[in-house]
Amino acid sequence: MSESHALKADIAADDDLVTPGRTGWQRFESTLYGAGSIVVLLLVWEIVPHLITISAGTKLFFTTPSQIGGTLWTMFATGTIWKPLGVSASGFSLGLVLAIAVGLPLGVLIGRSRTLNAMFDPFITAFNATPRLVFLPLLMLWFGLGLGSKVVIVFIGALFPILINTYEGVRNTDRVLVNVVRSFGASEWDVARLVVVPNAMPYIIAGLRLAIGRAVLGVVVAEFFGSESGLGVMMVQAAGRYQVAVVFAGLIVFAALSLAMTALVQILENRLSRWRPQHAGNE
Amino acid sequence: MSAYIQGRNVNLTFRPPNRRPVRALQNFDIDVNEGEFLSIVGPSGCGKSTFLNVLLGLAKPDSGDIMLGGKRIEGPGTDRAMVFQEFGLLPWRTVQSNVELGLELKGVATETRREVSQRLIEMVGLVGFETHYPHELSGGMKQRVGLARALATDPDVLLMDEPFAALDAQTRDLMQVELLRIWQEAKKTVLFVTHQIDEAIYLSDRVMVMTKRPGQAKKIFAIDLPRPRDYEMRVTREFNDLKLEIWNELKDEITSR
Repeated sequence: MSESHALKADIAADDDLVTPGRTGWQRFESTLYGAGSIVVLLLVWEIVPHLITISAGTKLFFTTPSQIGGTLWTMFATGTIWKPLGVSASGFSLGLVLAIAVGLPLGVLIGRSRTLNAMFDPFITAFNATPRLVFLPLLMLWFGLGLGSKVVIVFIGALFPILINTYEGVRNTDRVLVNVVRSFGASEWDVARLVVVPNAMPYIIAGLRLAIGRAVLGVVVAEFFGSESGLGVMMVQAAGRYQVAVVFAGLIVFAALSLAMTALVQILENRLSRWRPQHAGNE
Repeated sequence: MSAYIQGRNVNLTFRPPNRRPVRALQNFDIDVNEGEFLSIVGPSGCGKSTFLNVLLGLAKPDSGDIMLGGKRIEGPGTDRAMVFQEFGLLPWRTVQSNVELGLELKGVATETRREVSQRLIEMVGLVGFETHYPHELSGGMKQRVGLARALATDPDVLLMDEPFAALDAQTRDLMQVELLRIWQEAKKTVLFVTHQIDEAIYLSDRVMVMTKRPGQAKKIFAIDLPRPRDYEMRVTREFNDLKLEIWNELKDEITSR
């Protein structure tokens, strides 16, 4: 074990020696297959309605990729998408940022303090066991149909994955490392900053990934349930008018948002885990 | 004239929740001279490591006095530093920033930190590995980082808790030679806890044998082998006589229940 690490270190010291996991062609090949299957699916979807005859009544419920693309294009070109997108995005980001701002420090605190842990544990267990969306009617009553209720439902959804994962990560702290920094005269704040939080980082990132999913879900459900504006509202209204292409356009924007956020977390994770053995080869 | 490090009647009992209390140290006495290399050997769980933690200021004795340079030890301080058994390196920090940890906590300016860490990285022979992470290093290299980190704050006393136990035999031999070289260069008081009698004799001015738990000082052997020590000394008659004597003292503690 230690020998192989030493060897790795020697190799790493020598800059031109790189052991690639997969060759360029292999990577290109799998990308090609992935993209190819999407293109084929879209083509089939586009062509089939032209080949078979569909009654006018049934046609009302369907659309084609070109129509969806056209609708999206018009929405962005005329700018009609920005207002609902802005509303949904701000509900999402405000709620998520709040959840991180509360969940992370609180997770560290209850992970480090037995007293706080005992105090908060019943609430966390009870809240976490309850489906968060059941709070929605109450939140709408309290915070109205605007941004407020949306932010709160996103917050409640995203808080627990972050809080619980941070807590788990903090509980996992290596006591020896705490003693190491203490021996250099570290305060409790230094211990958290230098050992506890870096140690919990993989857990926190995993929590963040879950939280993003919950946050998007919160936005969608809040807007479906009843909200003044937003992408979800746009979708529900379009569905009422049989504008299927608009519904799909909203769906695609939501999916793109989630994908972009997940990619962002991935970048964050890669940056933060350079020190971990399994990431050594990728950097 | 009192010794540089002086422990008198030190008692410490661990009281883990829901379990029986464990007496780690009982009426433990110790005297260490300034600049001395003292090793402590004893059966497993006899409280050797506990005593180092008390000296480090991480564990508080229930009663008794521990003085360092005439001052009572109240908590961690920059006059002492520990080299840990399992290295205790922060895995998310590079070699360089691990070495600088103590200086950072002391609030030393970045430039000075760089100078000190560079000097120590040279001293322990890790030049070229400054930006490596611990997982990229072998056990011996990791412990060199641990040693450099402990020396970075320029402590008067170096506490070493079985620092070479996790290393293979050859690396261990090599590290012992290195440690002696560094000790001669840096002139620190060293307290070295180990299970290996060989290692204790080879390195030390004196070797203390501890009783089984609750730990007490049983006997102290003065090692009069000339310095600088070399590897060949380990096969001399004198060395082996000492080894046997210490073993006989230790044997009773390990075998008697």
